[in-house]
Amino acid sequence: MKLRAENVHHNFGATAALAPTTLEVQDGEFASIVGPSGCGKSTLFNIISGLLRPTAGRVFLDEHDVTGQTGRVGYMLQKDLLLPWRTVTQNIVLGASLTGRVTRKDKEEAVALARRYGLGEFVDHYPHTLSGGMRQRVALMRTLAVHKDVMLLDEPFGALDSQTRLRMQQWLLDVWQDQQRTVLFITHDVDEAIFLSDRVHVMSARPGAFRASYDIDLPRPRSIEILTSPAFIEMKREILQLIYSETLKQLAQEGEAA
Amino acid sequence: MRRVSQIVLPVALTAAVFGIWDIVVNVFTIQSYVLPRPYAVFAQIGTDWDVLQPAMWQTIEEFVIGFFVGIACGFVLAVVMGELRIVRRGLYPLLIASQAIPIIAIGAALVIWLGFGLTPKVVIVALIIFFPVVVNVLDGLANVDRDTISLARAMGAGPVRIFLHIKLPGTLTPLFSALKLAATFSVTGAVLGEWTASTNGGLGVYLLEQNSRLNTAGVFAAILLLAAIGIVGFLLIAGAEQLATPWRTRSTPRRLPFRRRVPVTRAAATQSIKGESS
Repeated sequence: MKLRAENVHHNFGATAALAPTTLEVQDGEFASIVGPSGCGKSTLFNIISGLLRPTAGRVFLDEHDVTGQTGRVGYMLQKDLLLPWRTVTQNIVLGASLTGRVTRKDKEEAVALARRYGLGEFVDHYPHTLSGGMRQRVALMRTLAVHKDVMLLDEPFGALDSQTRLRMQQWLLDVWQDQQRTVLFITHDVDEAIFLSDRVHVMSARPGAFRASYDIDLPRPRSIEILTSPAFIEMKREILQLIYSETLKQLAQEGEAA
Repeated sequence: MRRVSQIVLPVALTAAVFGIWDIVVNVFTIQSYVLPRPYAVFAQIGTDWDVLQPAMWQTIEEFVIGFFVGIACGFVLAVVMGELRIVRRGLYPLLIASQAIPIIAIGAALVIWLGFGLTPKVVIVALIIFFPVVVNVLDGLANVDRDTISLARAMGAGPVRIFLHIKLPGTLTPLFSALKLAATFSVTGAVLGEWTASTNGGLGVYLLEQNSRLNTAGVFAAILLLAAIGIVGFLLIAGAEQLATPWRTRSTPRRLPFRRRVPVTRAAATQSIKGESS
């Protein structure tokens, strides 16, 4: 399913959180957004997920206008937000119990997801027994289990240590290849964005707007070795330079204002 | 091993207290109307059982009914206050102010309004439990992660489902903290109720009667039984807590003997995911 945000922008009172922004993610594409904190990435996500009505602009899934409608895309945050009183399986089927009935099929599917993606022994465990990485896996399974073709992942690995993070990135790529969904991924880690994505969009700060987009032509499936390949380094240099010049501009502006 | 020491240690300590009590009375030859020997207290329970037993049941009745009435009212009010900000803003200061009023003062008024029957005692016990329940449940509702609610909304959930699946289960832990506290001092509430609004029956009344006769063994008999009610109440609530919030102490839910788990064949289930996602 294709995702398209057309000229969406949002003002909180008098301050513009997000300048008019247009973004397109192709069916089955893995797209990332990188940018400094406070650049309106999360505002954009809240608009796409329907939690926030944009001041102006529209959101389309394929050709359907879904502006301000919730329940159309999968959504995952940095915090795993697992409910402590639900077992792994029950957490995975949360979407079904919030919007309808949990059927036997939902439960079977949750168990199958857990088995398939390495948590088979923990289906009946409460979240407090799991490690941070395992909890984020369950959170992703919960997002997969709502059967939305478009998934928004807002810094899902931001709270993990770097080793776990690397493993989770590879795992996410496996899942994505397996499930063939459209992914929009927020991060401020340029390495992570390049490693995972087909396309990386760079945002500038206050009010947030897209500065540039880069196609990542690195071959798939990708392994850790690619992180040190010349093509990867070149890509990273280019993106970092853009972000760095943005940061300098911002600092200069703040200096003038002060 | 830990289980055993959990039971053995308090029992041994209680026995030691009774032992020391007995020795002190003997050594200092304390008069029995000042402090009776422990065995005299137990003897009193034995000989006066015909009076004590109905008195105890009456106090238990006041305690149990008042307890549940207090929980129900407190819980409902907390939910209403949690969901409607305007009610919370208006009522919360009043609620806190109400706690400054000594319960015994209300007790006198309750007798005028409700007479000498069971009702005023139930109301006093309920009033005592009510406040910690409201405060704790309200806390539980307020501490729900805003992001969890956003996530549920993004999944397409309405306010009723969000309340039932996300907010409500979160109130269980603070609710039980309140109940464990309340279990012990609501016995005090029942006695207070009896003192202000009773002519007959109840351990509180028995205690006053024995006191006026300088029968200290009788006073201590009532105290022991009141303590027993409080302890049993506390243990029952702690047990209920274990059953109601298994995730706090266990890694997996209890297996219920009559609920079989759904067997899942790996191949069939895998197919269902792949089929759905494309």
